[in-house]
Amino acid sequence: MGQIDMADKLFDKILVANRGEIAVRVMNACRLLGIPTLAIYSTADANAVHRRFADESVEIGPPPPLQSYLSIDKIIKAAIENKCDAIHPGYGFLAENPLFPDACEKAGIVFIGPSGKSMRLMGNKVEARRKMVNAGVPLIPGMQGAGSDLKSFEEAAEKAGYPVLIKAAAGGGGKGMRIVHEKAMLKESVEAAMREAKNAFGDDTVYLEKYIENPRHVEFQVLADNHGNTIHLFERECSIQRRHQKIIEETPSVALTPDLRARMGEAAVKATQAANYRNAGTIEFLVDTKGGFYFLEMNTRVQVEHPVTEMVTGVDLVVEQIRIAAGQEISEGARHAVQRGHAIECRIYAEDAENNFLPSSGDILYYEEPSGPGIRVDSGVTGNTKIGTDYDPILSKLIVHAPDRNLAISKMIQALKDYKILGIKTSRKFMIDVLSHPEFRAGRTYTNFIEKNMAGRDDGRASLSPVAATAAAAALAQKPAAIAVGMKHIKPSPWQTIGNWEIGMRCAR
Amino acid sequence: MIQQVRIEDKLYDVDIATSANGVTAALNGTHYSISQQGQGKFIVTVDGRKHAAACVIKDNKIYADVDGVLFDLTVPSIDMDIAGGADASVGVKDKIFAPMPGKVVKILVTVGQEVKAKQPMVIVEAMKMENQVNCAAEGIVKKINFKDGDQVDTETPIIELELAAELK
Repeated sequence: MGQIDMADKLFDKILVANRGEIAVRVMNACRLLGIPTLAIYSTADANAVHRRFADESVEIGPPPPLQSYLSIDKIIKAAIENKCDAIHPGYGFLAENPLFPDACEKAGIVFIGPSGKSMRLMGNKVEARRKMVNAGVPLIPGMQGAGSDLKSFEEAAEKAGYPVLIKAAAGGGGKGMRIVHEKAMLKESVEAAMREAKNAFGDDTVYLEKYIENPRHVEFQVLADNHGNTIHLFERECSIQRRHQKIIEETPSVALTPDLRARMGEAAVKATQAANYRNAGTIEFLVDTKGGFYFLEMNTRVQVEHPVTEMVTGVDLVVEQIRIAAGQEISEGARHAVQRGHAIECRIYAEDAENNFLPSSGDILYYEEPSGPGIRVDSGVTGNTKIGTDYDPILSKLIVHAPDRNLAISKMIQALKDYKILGIKTSRKFMIDVLSHPEFRAGRTYTNFIEKNMAGRDDGRASLSPVAATAAAAALAQKPAAIAVGMKHIKPSPWQTIGNWEIGMRCAR
Repeated sequence: MIQQVRIEDKLYDVDIATSANGVTAALNGTHYSISQQGQGKFIVTVDGRKHAAACVIKDNKIYADVDGVLFDLTVPSIDMDIAGGADASVGVKDKIFAPMPGKVVKILVTVGQEVKAKQPMVIVEAMKMENQVNCAAEGIVKKINFKDGDQVDTETPIIELELAAELK
């Protein structure tokens, strides 16, 4: 391995305060930079890929996140005891908790991300909106701050025009959100949203804005360093969502003309500067059918969907994050990046698309990733992984890159078919159906795509049952020991009873 | 070689042939060409269309994935052994019991029907797994004590037979 000279090393050791695919992804960037990594893991993850992938690992507690991956005290202690001088939070868990960078600063550890102050500002949506107005970033018409009484909601709704949306100030993931079509429903909806917000976030502050019909979700990747550079790395369209969570993301967005892209990019840079933001972040916009765009929020972390940006720009965003945190400038390559080709990401969750996307748990009995030119898999699992119910059910992300959108769609459909995961349910078939839909091919990707186009789809079982039967019969005809895990009626050979195994570790790409 | 597999309550008799050119299969008059890509991994070509398939066998069940669609398959010949069907039920050949306490998924025979040894009689679900219970000897169905959906234990026979040996 090309070891980097110690004098050039940005950090002595980085603690990766996360698990699963993103922990592995961050560790890959560290390897590239010659920086050793420390994994933290709960007792539920003693055999997890991210633990085995790190140079060192330390157990930090029992499965409940509050006692392990969300315990700032335990993580800071692990960093100090294991001589880590920087922490990367990944996404989720503590990634957007301002107390975490605060605690790092106090302990003299570099937090690879923005300051606690920037996080606080952008984490509070009411505060963030105020800041954006002053910076001249377009916002959805609506309240400038939290609503104090019903009358203020009524007035704001009249001004913005129905339908309107009630949102939680501290919200996310669709919680504390209500669409109101007429005045008569306003009171009830505000109260319901407040209750939901209180339960979900411990804060019942809600506000009102105009509801944009048939919107697209388009976000801009930004980077800012301590040398006065703030840049954007173009957009990602993330309109395909189920239960208010993105599942398919792509770049470029078919909705953006070069002019609109330039104006949105400029607004994203302005928003980042207004927040006095450092490191990698994302400015989310809604784009309406007439090309109007509105600031939604800023995500103060590396996004799940960051790889599509990496595919079209060639920039390693986590490497940039680490370099910026170490006080370096944004790389020359990133500052002059252009969009090349088209990239799509599909999130592979352990979930049952036929049953309202409920999480699916169990043992992965068979696991094989697709491969080929322009195919990337960021994974946190292997063929011998138990999927529990303690954490977010994301297993991996499948990303493809092709010269144009049509080829990228075809490549993704084939890659999803070739991606084999047995033992637990994933929504691969569902995503194949989304990508195969004529409306998707036509680029009519609005945030209501799934509700509008996916009801009553063919699950493919009837037509593919005979194929499954012949494949199973072929497997049985051969009965190779390695696939006959636990066949009770055959006298087991030692090769059968040792269970699933693999030689060595999956190598990083 | 005929290999029988079941998806839900549907039986498939797959005629598998292995030659130097690879594996082919015939099912209900349709020809399938099967190319192995790795352990448990196949490309199945039918009517000019290629399907990516993977299979793994665990606990008497075959888990299969075809183009991202998941299937759970069972094999009647494997069911038999754990079900204690044919060979295990010596002495009580005229009574069909559930191998484990569970639920009757489907009774596959009717009263008065002539049955042969190894013929599937009933599908019982236990521990979230379906088990097919086969007939142990030739005879006629005399009595069926349960219907689809009923809970069963291992004490009460699900189906009672008049054995051919006794009829003579």
